[in-house]
Amino acid sequence: MIKTVGLGKTVSTSEGQLTILKGIDLEIKKSESVAIVGASGSGKTTLLSLLAGLDTPTRGDIFLGEYELTALDEEQRAKVRGQMVGFVFQNFQLLTSLTAIENVMLPSELKGDSRAQEKASDVLQRVGLGHRFNHYPGQLSGGEQQRVAIARAFASNAEVLFADEPTGNLDTGTGAHIIDLIFELNEEFGTTLVLVTHDVRLADRCTRSIKIDSGELK
Amino acid sequence: MHFSLALKLLWRDWRAGELTLLLVSLIIAVSTVTTITLFVDRLQQALLKESATFLAADRVVASSDPLADEILARARELGLEQAETLSFLSMVFSNDRAQFTAVKAVNDKYPLRGKLIVSDAPFVRGTPVESGPPPGEVWLESRLLPSLGVKKGDILDIGVASFPIGNVLVKEPDRGSGFNSVGPRVMMNLVDVPATEVVQPGSRLTYRYLFAGDVAALDEFEAWAKPKLGVEARMFGVKEGAAGIGDALDRAERFLLLGGLLGVILAGVAIALAAQRYSLRHYDHVAILKTLGATPNGIDTIFVVMFLTLGALSTIVGSGIGFVVQMAAVQILEPLIPIELPNPGLRPVGLGLVTGFICLLSFALPPLLKLRAIVPVRVIRRDLGEAGIADRMTYSFAFIGIIGLMWWYSQDLWLTMLIFSGGAVAALVMSVVAYGLLHSGRIFGMQAGSTWRLALAGMQRRGQENTMQILVFGLAIMLLLILYLVRTALVEEWRAQIPENAPNHFAINISPEDVDPIGQLFRENGVASQPLYPMIRGRITSVNGQLSKERDEQREAVSDDGGPRASSGRNLTWTAHIPDDNRIIAGKWWPENYRGPTQVSLEKDLAQTNRLKVGDDLVFTIQGRELTAIVASIRTVSWDNMQPNFYIIFSPGALEDFPSTYMTSFFLDKHEKLFLNTLLNQYPTMTVIEVDALIEQIQSIISQVTLAIELVLGLILISGGLVLLASIQASMDERFKQHAILRTLGASQKLVLGSLAIEFCTLGFFAGVLATFGSEITVYGLETEIFQLEYEINPELWVLGPVVGMVLIGVVGTLATLKVVRTPPITVLRELS
Ligand SMILES: Nc1ncnc2c1ncn2[C@@H]1O[C@H](COP(=O)(O)OP(=O)(O)O)[C@@H](O)[C@H]1O
Ligand SMILES: [Mg+2]
Repeated sequence: MIKTVGLGKTVSTSEGQLTILKGIDLEIKKSESVAIVGASGSGKTTLLSLLAGLDTPTRGDIFLGEYELTALDEEQRAKVRGQMVGFVFQNFQLLTSLTAIENVMLPSELKGDSRAQEKASDVLQRVGLGHRFNHYPGQLSGGEQQRVAIARAFASNAEVLFADEPTGNLDTGTGAHIIDLIFELNEEFGTTLVLVTHDVRLADRCTRSIKIDSGELK
Repeated sequence: MHFSLALKLLWRDWRAGELTLLLVSLIIAVSTVTTITLFVDRLQQALLKESATFLAADRVVASSDPLADEILARARELGLEQAETLSFLSMVFSNDRAQFTAVKAVNDKYPLRGKLIVSDAPFVRGTPVESGPPPGEVWLESRLLPSLGVKKGDILDIGVASFPIGNVLVKEPDRGSGFNSVGPRVMMNLVDVPATEVVQPGSRLTYRYLFAGDVAALDEFEAWAKPKLGVEARMFGVKEGAAGIGDALDRAERFLLLGGLLGVILAGVAIALAAQRYSLRHYDHVAILKTLGATPNGIDTIFVVMFLTLGALSTIVGSGIGFVVQMAAVQILEPLIPIELPNPGLRPVGLGLVTGFICLLSFALPPLLKLRAIVPVRVIRRDLGEAGIADRMTYSFAFIGIIGLMWWYSQDLWLTMLIFSGGAVAALVMSVVAYGLLHSGRIFGMQAGSTWRLALAGMQRRGQENTMQILVFGLAIMLLLILYLVRTALVEEWRAQIPENAPNHFAINISPEDVDPIGQLFRENGVASQPLYPMIRGRITSVNGQLSKERDEQREAVSDDGGPRASSGRNLTWTAHIPDDNRIIAGKWWPENYRGPTQVSLEKDLAQTNRLKVGDDLVFTIQGRELTAIVASIRTVSWDNMQPNFYIIFSPGALEDFPSTYMTSFFLDKHEKLFLNTLLNQYPTMTVIEVDALIEQIQSIISQVTLAIELVLGLILISGGLVLLASIQASMDERFKQHAILRTLGASQKLVLGSLAIEFCTLGFFAGVLATFGSEITVYGLETEIFQLEYEINPELWVLGPVVGMVLIGVVGTLATLKVVRTPPITVLRELS
C-alpha cells in the first residue's frame, strides 16, 4: 500500500542545511497497522507528512496505493489525498467556523459526494456524538473534538489513515477512549493505519512498529 | 462542483461571523465611493449651471454682425434653447434731461439661465421675473431714474420712438460679463429696436446669441459652429466668458475630482485591509481543506466564487446605501447650499458600481488568490506556507487598479502620476522609517518587564505588521492632510483674489485738470479710491535696435503661443510707487523721487514671450513721437484682482510731455451708487465702468465653490476615519491573542490597556510624522502643478500632524481594543486557537 525508496528530507534553516530524514526505505501492506515510534524531534511527523503527500521530499520516491506521489504535482496530490487518505492530528485541525457535522461532511463535499450528510451523521453517531451535530469546535472538549476529527477521517472512506500523536493533547483516560475508537473503526472499515506515537502501549496494539532515530530507521 | 461548495462555505463563514468585517468594509467602501461620486457629480453640475447664469446661457456667440441663419438652424436641430440680445450705446431723453446709456434689446426668450430682478422703485431689492420687457416698454437701471428725473410710468425717448418705463431693473444675470457695459442700462424688447431708428449702418452693435441645453448637444454644437464663425464673432462658455469665475471653477472642479480620487484610494485601502485579514485568518482553514483533498484550483474556485458573490452583494447594497446617504446628505444640507442640485443621474450610480467593483478586484481579490499557494504541511508546522511570491502579484494588482481608477476619474495622467508618485515616495520613506519602529518597539518591550517580553516573543513578525500598520495609518492621515491643505490654500487664494471693499468701479478718460478736483470729490464723499494713473496709448517699436514687428514675426514663426505681442498698442502709465499686488521678479523698482533716464517696468508674460530682459533698450512710439527707455524691472501682475493693471509702467515724469488722460478705480457700496450721478454730472467727459455686478457674482460663486469643497472634505474625513477603524480591526486578532495570553499570565487590565494605549499612540505618532512629510511633498506638487498656487511650507502641520496622529490612533485604537480586556481570556484563546 505504501512504499518508500531512499526517502530523504533536507530543509534550510537559519543555521544552515538540516537533514531531517536520511534515506528511509519502508513498505506498509494493505490493512496493516503500523506504529512509527521514536524520540521527540527524531523526524516522525516529517515522515508521516511525506507519506501522506502533505509535503515533498528532497530525494527518494514514495508510492501510495497505485500512485507514485513523487511524480505528481500539488494539484494531483490533493486529489489523491481527497480520494484515499484520512488524517487525525495531535491538535485536531477542525475548521472553527463549521459545526461538527459540517466538519465531518467536508471531505465528501470536496469530492462532490451527494450523500455527504447521510454518511457524516452515521459516522458521527458511531463516534458517540449524535447529540452534538450542530456544535462548533469551540464548544466541544478536546476529546470530543478529536472524535469529530476521527469521524471526519473515516467518513470519506479513506483507505489509509494517518494519525500523528492523536492522544498527545488529551488526558490519559480520554486518550485511551480515542485509541480504542481508532482501532475499532480501523477494523470495521479495513483501513490501513499509520500511527505516530511515543506511547509504547499504543505501539504494541499495532501489527508492527517502525523505530526512527535521528532520521534513520532502526 | 466546487461552485455549490463555495456558496456553502461562504454561508458557513458568514454564519460564524467570519465575513462580517469584510462585508461591512466592502459595503462601506462602495457606499462612500458612491456617495462621494454622486455628490461630486451633482455639485459639479450645479456649479456649472449656477455659473451659467453669469452668461444668462451655457454658450454665447458675441458678434458685431448678425449670425448666419445656418448656425441658428443647427442649434434648433440639436434641441438647444436660444435667445438673442443686441447692445448699443445711445442717448435717451426724458422730459427735460438727457443721458448717455448702454441699451440692451432682448427677445422674449432672454434670459436662458438666471433671472432678471425688477422693482417698482429704484434702489430696492425687487422680485425675479422670467423674461425681459414686453414690446412697447423699457426698463431702467435704478440710478437712471434720479439722473433723468423720472419714475415708473414716465415716458422715455430713444431715437425717434417713445416708451413708457415699465419697471426698474435691479439686476440682470449677465450684467458682469465683459467691460462693454459702459454706462447705465436701459433694457428694451428686440422688436422695438427698428422703430427707434437708432441702429444705422455703421453703428457699433454687439449681437449676443445665447444657447442652453444639455452638455452633449452643446459640445456638438460648439465643435460644429466654431470653425464657421467669422473674425467678428466669438463663441464662449462661462469659463472663458466670465473673468475670474472660470479660474475658480476650474480649480474647484479639480479639487472635487481630487476629493473623489482620494475617497477611492481610502476605500481601496479599507477593502485591502479587510481582505488581508480575512485571508490571514483563512491560512489554516485552507491548509486543512487541502489536507482533505482540495486542489489549488479548487481553492481558487472557492474563493473566486466567494469573492464574486461578496462583490456583487456589496456593490449592489453599497451603491444603494451610497445613493440614499447622498440623498439624505443633500436633504440635510439643503438649507446650507444656496444652489439647487440637479437630480442625480444614473451615470454616477454606474460609476460607483464600477468603481466599487474595480476596488474589489484590485484590493480584495489578490489576498484571496494568495490562498491557493498555502501548503498543506501547514497543518503540522504553522510557520510554513506564508505565500511569499504572491505578494508581488498583490501589489501589482493594487498598483494597476489604483492608477487605472485615478486616471479614469481624473482623465488627467499628469495629476494621477503626481498623486501616485507623491504617495509612493512617501510610502517608501515611511517603510524605511517605520522599520526603525521595530527597534523602538523592542526597547518598549524591555522596559515593560518580563511579561511584556514574553508577549513580544514574536517581535520580528510584529515589527513587520507594525510597519504595515504605520504605513496604512500614515497614508490615511496623509490623504486627509493633503485635502485639508489644498482646501485651505484654495480658499485663501480666493479670498485674497477679491478682498472685501476691493474697488468695483473704474473711471477712465479723466482729463488732467480734473485729476485734483476728482480726488477731492472722492475724499469729501468718503469714497475709497486708488491712485489716479495717467494713461497714454503707445507701443514698442524697437528692441535693442531691432524692429519689434520683426521680432514678433520671428517669434510667431517658431511658435505662436498666443502670448502678448510686443508690438501691440498698449495703455502706458507712469508711477513712483509699485502697484499693490505687483511683485518684482527681476531688476529693481525705481526710488520714489527718481529723476534719471527713462526706465520701464514690464509685466512677466510680456517680457518672457518676447525675450525682453532687464537692461534692454526699448523705443516706444507715443502719439507719433519716439521715446527711449531702459528695462529696469520685470513684475508679476494679478490680473484677476479687478484693479487698474498695466503691462508697461514708466518711471515718474517720463510721460509728462505727452498729453494724457487719467484713470482710477474706487469702491462703492450698493447704496452709494447714487454718487455716480453726482460724479458724472460734474465731469461728463469721464467714463465709469461698473464691475460691481461682476465682482459680486464672482464672490457669490466663490463662496458656493468653497462650500462645495468643504462638504467634500467632510465626506472624505468620514471615510478616512472608517479606514483607520478598519485598519485597527484588521490588526486586532494578533493583539487579542497576545493580550489574552498576557492576562492568563496574570497581567492586570490596567497593564494591558496601558500597553495597548502606548502602542497605538506610538504608531499614531510615527504615522503622523510620515503623513506630514508625505503630504508636504504631495501638496507641493499639487499646488504648483495642478492648482497654480504658490506653495508655502506649513510649519504648524509639523506639530499638528504627529499630535493628531497620536491622539486619533491612540484613542480610536484603545477604544476599539477595550474588548480585549473585557472578554475573559479563555474565550479569546478558544476563538483564535
Ligand atoms: N521545515 C522545517 N524547518 C526547520 N526544521 C524542521 C522543519 N521540519 C522539521 N524540522 C526539524 O526536524 C526535526 C524533526 O521534526 P519532526 O519530524 O517534527 O520530529 P518528531 O515528529 O519526531 O518530533 C525537528 O528538530 C524539527 O525542528
Ligand atoms: Mg511530531
